[in-house]
Amino acid sequence: MSLFRKKEKEKVYTRYSGMADVHAWRGVVEKLSTPEGRPDVLDDILVIDASYANFSGIVAASLFAEFGAEVIKIEPPEGDPCRKMTPYGRNVKGVGIPFIFEGRNKRYMTLDLQNKPEDRETFAKLAKKAAVVIETFPAGDMDSWGIGYRQLSETNPGLIYIAITPYGQYTKKAEEFRTFPDSDITTQTGSGLAAQIGDLPTEPEPYNWPLRAGMWMGWYITGLGAALGGAAALMYRQKEGEGQMIDVAGMDAYACLTGIPVSIGYTWDKPRPRIGVLDFILYPYGHWKCKDGMVAIVASRDQDFRALLKIVGRWDLEDDYKFTADRISDIIDQAMALHRAIEKKTMKKGADELTMKALKYAVKAAQSKWRGGGVPIVMRVMTPEMARNQKQWEIRKSFMEVTDETLGKFTISTGFVKMTESPPKVKWVTCDIGKDNDYVAEKYLS
Amino acid sequence: MKDFFSYTSDLFDPSRIKDKPEILKGLRVIDFTHVIFGPTASRILGNYGAEVIKLELPFYGDLWRPATYWGRYWKHSNPIWHFITQNKYFVSIDLKLPEAKDLVYRMAKDADIVLENFAPGTAEAWGVGYTSISKINPNIIYLSCSTYGQYGPMRYFPGWDLLAQAASGVLSLNGFPGTDRYYKLPDYLGDFFPGNLGAMVLLLALYYRNKTGKGQYVDLSQTESMMRILYHFTYHSITGEALGRTGHADPAMVAASIFKTRDGRFIGIACGTEKQFEGLCDAMNKKELLQDRRFSDYFHALQEKNAEELRTIVGEWVKVTDCDDIVRLANEKGFAAAEVMDDKMLCEDPWRRERGSVILFNDEMYGELAIAGPTSQLSKTPARTKWLARPVGYHNRYVLKKFLGLSEEELDELQRKKVIGTFDDKPGLKPPLYYDLEKDPLYNYGREVAK
Repeated sequence: MSLFRKKEKEKVYTRYSGMADVHAWRGVVEKLSTPEGRPDVLDDILVIDASYANFSGIVAASLFAEFGAEVIKIEPPEGDPCRKMTPYGRNVKGVGIPFIFEGRNKRYMTLDLQNKPEDRETFAKLAKKAAVVIETFPAGDMDSWGIGYRQLSETNPGLIYIAITPYGQYTKKAEEFRTFPDSDITTQTGSGLAAQIGDLPTEPEPYNWPLRAGMWMGWYITGLGAALGGAAALMYRQKEGEGQMIDVAGMDAYACLTGIPVSIGYTWDKPRPRIGVLDFILYPYGHWKCKDGMVAIVASRDQDFRALLKIVGRWDLEDDYKFTADRISDIIDQAMALHRAIEKKTMKKGADELTMKALKYAVKAAQSKWRGGGVPIVMRVMTPEMARNQKQWEIRKSFMEVTDETLGKFTISTGFVKMTESPPKVKWVTCDIGKDNDYVAEKYLS
Repeated sequence: MKDFFSYTSDLFDPSRIKDKPEILKGLRVIDFTHVIFGPTASRILGNYGAEVIKLELPFYGDLWRPATYWGRYWKHSNPIWHFITQNKYFVSIDLKLPEAKDLVYRMAKDADIVLENFAPGTAEAWGVGYTSISKINPNIIYLSCSTYGQYGPMRYFPGWDLLAQAASGVLSLNGFPGTDRYYKLPDYLGDFFPGNLGAMVLLLALYYRNKTGKGQYVDLSQTESMMRILYHFTYHSITGEALGRTGHADPAMVAASIFKTRDGRFIGIACGTEKQFEGLCDAMNKKELLQDRRFSDYFHALQEKNAEELRTIVGEWVKVTDCDDIVRLANEKGFAAAEVMDDKMLCEDPWRRERGSVILFNDEMYGELAIAGPTSQLSKTPARTKWLARPVGYHNRYVLKKFLGLSEEELDELQRKKVIGTFDDKPGLKPPLYYDLEKDPLYNYGREVAK
């Protein structure tokens, strides 16, 4: 399907349209939309993922693998415990769904690092050829087995050694909590994410408790942190030929990704409450019931808010919420009153109708100086299953149907970034334990 | 050989970070981004030493400057803005004017990276998009951040973090099954997470350019970034069922949930292996559960009914146990448990202070502020904070004179035509009230200042 279809005119919802160079732009889009066969940026490096019972190591390894690194996942003969972490125990031939989902372009080799000294020797041999090692054992364990950063970097000074644990590789607490296991939920609670999700303090228990984000947010932040640090270290290695050690602490995840809890904790000198569906800065910025589900609405700037009042037919409220500060949620009752007033109106309309109304308003506002450029935005709140079927993602190849000999047919989300030269790609998803033992032995150990 | 922890505490010693090399030193970044998504990507480049030139509209500045929590300013600035825009050079030019575009083109000649996160199409329409910049500098790496991407039928839809959360499915997942009670991910996570992903992609694009000499165009969509982390799609295609919301529980790990302790605190608990489950049973004094057929192996214990019963058992135990005792037992017996940390606890946590995850940064303009450290600590080339946010146009003179070599006369002319400018008298845009800009050597770069 062509990306630029015949005479269908694209709708522009902002003030600015027109292209500096349409022809050149089309060339760019053609490249973005055809990642197949383009170069792999990391095709010159070997990554060894020795992570164990810690999914963030797997996430980091996947990111390297999608950008073309040769990734060898090391696990004991019975497999990484992450293979068994899966919702309600649902699995395909003993492999859990998250593990299947992250099984991207990887080689699988069995080595029992925890119990077998001879396997450690094999590992050390392999690590000589590696650019990156990822491990998640208790801090100091690899070192005591003779295959820590200290020892490996002696023979391979270019090695980037990424260690992921809940409390890191240094400080007194890291030592005291050395063997503390990692999990997504403790990463969420211990790094500040859970404290900010959940309903108002006035709501009944357990709705007003801190809540878990309904995906492995803690582990994905940690894994991305590891990959980001790894990418930075790869730059230095490329320039100076030197590797380094990277310490990722799961308990840093949310606090260090957003930075907000830290600076707010300091300037406010007290914790924020949980505020349910409200927002601390923007309003309206949330989701409301509508006739056929829920809609997310962003109409936070003054002009957007006024546009929203027009769209839902509550211009009469304008007088009560004249100032931006009237809408901010520090007076929660006032903000909730507005929330409910809007909901009464959105309940009467369907999500598509509201979306179209908002877009129409925005198009008109973009052309009229009297409407102040208000861009109220409405979007249906989709479940992942609904999102899966959107045309946008079909055209952008954001999902892949893959078929694997062992695992059968399934869907994964891929193509999270489009690049003209070196985009990420998924080439295979096979993840049988030890499937590449011979391959690795022949290529790297003979 | 030295003991492991004394070796690592030397290796990562936070007090030595400032003496270590910066990976991206000398790298020049032109940053058109605003709000959080794009600025986060460029901020991380700045943490690693790149010169990030943040371009803003004169007198008005970034939309996010005044956007502070509950409208509370700190020293006339937005406290969270300091984290998002640390280490940047603040230049304000009005892109609507041809002279401003000319300045951008001059800067682009020897820039390495350009970032923007306007509504798709805007940068192209303004003549500062990839097709324009790559004509001046063919090896430029250009990152466009948007909610739905630069092509496809939804590309012109305006976007925010929240809309990416709604469109990707993540918003629908945080809450209670069988109810309408669900919540967005807090603190604009739909901006911060893709922003960090963007920084990683830029580093890899630089790596590629160093190898091949080629720059490239990068189209990063925050909705796609959020979809990348959902195994829910695979779950649905394999089981035919939607995973949906699961409340406090993590359905993928044994006994994993958030519980309320005897002393009224909240704690997350999980077992990642059968051995960790043994540890938990031991801690609860319920070794008999190990013989229980319901929990005989990891998959069994995860089955919906069994998992629910197990969480009830654990919940009953947590209800009569103090939080600190659970954490101590978790460490002793080997299962995962961590208290729910709020803003103040995080900020004051001695472990984070010692580690450098919470830095009491002393800024020349703002004084002391707690700033979060990086998500990963590098031993040789660590990320670092060098200065906090600055008022709109603070580095105009410094950047335009030092980097572009403009003369005083040219600067005056640009100022007169309002091509460049500084800040209006508004919180979030201006310096703290007590701060005397007239005496600031950077703001007055190339001019004599009174001591």
